[in-house]
Amino acid sequence: MAKQLYLIDGDENHAEALKTYIGRRQYDVICVSTFDSAKRLLDKNFPDIILADPFISEEMVSCLESVKKNDPRVQIIIFSQKDKLDTAMDIFGSSAIHYLELPLNSKALDLALTAACIIISMNKKVSQYSQKLVDFQNEQNLLNQLFEEVPCYISVQDRNLRITAANKKFKYHFGNQIGGYCFEIYKHRTSQCHECPVVATFQDGKSHSTEEIVTSKFGKQYNVLTRTAPIRNEKGEITQVMEMSTNITQIRQLQDHLVSLGLMLGSMSHGVKGMLTALDGGIYQLETGLAKKDDDRVFKASEQIKTMADKIKNMVLEILYYAKSRELQYEEMTVAALARNVVSNVKPMAEKHGVNLDIAIPETLGNIDVDPKWMEASLVNFLENAVDACVSDRDNKDHCIKFQVSKNSKNQICFTISDNGIGMDTETKNKMFTLFFTSKGSQGTGLGLFIAHRVIKYHGGIVDVESEQGKGSQFCICLPFQKPDSTKNVEFPVVFPRVNG
Amino acid sequence: MKKKILVIDDDLNIRDYLVSLFNDNGYEAYIAGDVKEGIKEANKIKPDLITLDIEMPGEWGPRFYRQLSQDPKLKNIPVIVISGLSGHQYAVVKAVASLTKPFDRNELLKIVKETLN
Repeated sequence: MAKQLYLIDGDENHAEALKTYIGRRQYDVICVSTFDSAKRLLDKNFPDIILADPFISEEMVSCLESVKKNDPRVQIIIFSQKDKLDTAMDIFGSSAIHYLELPLNSKALDLALTAACIIISMNKKVSQYSQKLVDFQNEQNLLNQLFEEVPCYISVQDRNLRITAANKKFKYHFGNQIGGYCFEIYKHRTSQCHECPVVATFQDGKSHSTEEIVTSKFGKQYNVLTRTAPIRNEKGEITQVMEMSTNITQIRQLQDHLVSLGLMLGSMSHGVKGMLTALDGGIYQLETGLAKKDDDRVFKASEQIKTMADKIKNMVLEILYYAKSRELQYEEMTVAALARNVVSNVKPMAEKHGVNLDIAIPETLGNIDVDPKWMEASLVNFLENAVDACVSDRDNKDHCIKFQVSKNSKNQICFTISDNGIGMDTETKNKMFTLFFTSKGSQGTGLGLFIAHRVIKYHGGIVDVESEQGKGSQFCICLPFQKPDSTKNVEFPVVFPRVNG
Repeated sequence: MKKKILVIDDDLNIRDYLVSLFNDNGYEAYIAGDVKEGIKEANKIKPDLITLDIEMPGEWGPRFYRQLSQDPKLKNIPVIVISGLSGHQYAVVKAVASLTKPFDRNELLKIVKETLN
């Protein structure tokens, strides 16, 4: 597009000659010879270039100064008599790009116009870049805002699994540890996780999804659903991987309730089947007793039917009761009897796997208030886990579990279970009481220790754990002798301990 | 001579039921309440058939079957599993039949008859 040029020259003939000359060089030239006509023109519109003799009137100087001030993009070329050129330079300085002396030299004029065109085109480019920069910054701000405010934990990791960036929610829950290892920050582990979705994405460039249990800087465990995405450089190489984790703890808690309900029904169905068989047996005895006129059989059968009907009624009531909430059924029993019952439950399993049991149960520890059904199931669970820890240990040593019962300085009963099995890493130790966490792969449900721990907690007790990977673990379960006050009307997991039969 | 059936179940009511059922149908029924007793009785009476519960206190049914199958004098005795445990059909794979509690008594008698003939 042709550039617009205003020619301001007091000499009309000279102006016409110049207009013809410049017009041939593809400029749209508008020519004015008085200040008034120049002022009217400039009030309407600013051209690309002004070629002017500023001394055609006194006001012309300030008029040109004001044009430059209002729009710095306008390029001004000054021409005047030789004796006034110095004054013009003093007035305009670098506001004008060229100062030409009358009579005008055509070459000098061409150079001045070319220079003006170059500056105009550069200005245009700079202006375009500036606009792009503003757009880019706006976009970056928007993305940054999304990254920071999205309601998920987001981290970006390099090939060494070090975190290079993290969003606000991640930093709040896991700390501002840019540069730290993901597994250390997210899981408090000392080594890479077994199945890492970030590593998988680095390998195949695809998005991977896993469900994890992570530990916040406050020591709280969250169930999270994790998804990864590759971040590539301009050559298409994966340089980093983004990991986005959604907190699904609440969903898992709801599932916990449903699973517990399912487990309860599963364990109950076994008992129900036995009762129905016995009821069926009663009916058979009754029918055959009547047919044979065997009064003794009829009497026995009716007693059996009544007993079974009562048992079924009680079980249905229990289902309804357990499905809501349950209070612990405290009974006073000797500590030694409780411990012996627990041992007799675990002994066959330990013998089967060739694990020695070293038992120390003093008879002199007195009585304790517990819900025997739940407490036995809980302690059995801890001992069975110790057997599992020995079985999983591939070290060819003699495996042994020590089960000791003693009284501590706080007047509590302590059941100490020590094994020389596989031991636990920090992650397993941190999370072993979390629902659905298991270190046993498909062999575990992640329910056993969760429930066992709850039972101890609701009895007012605590579980202290020490463990070293490869060497073994020690669980110290301390219980008060008396029933604590706080256990009234506690919500209890809806799961039955295993019932034989 | 009547065929002998050994009933191994920890539930007294179910034991009584099975004993009456078998005795009423021309068999001679014997009982055992757990695995240990079951092995003892099996050695003593040499039954023609055994009905076996899976989940019992102490040792459980499959262990009884292992011990039975390792004894040359007892290993050929057919075993019918009767259990309320889900998946019990996989617990003793060589059992002649696996019935779920509560079972159909006619079906049980039919299997017993076919096995003993």
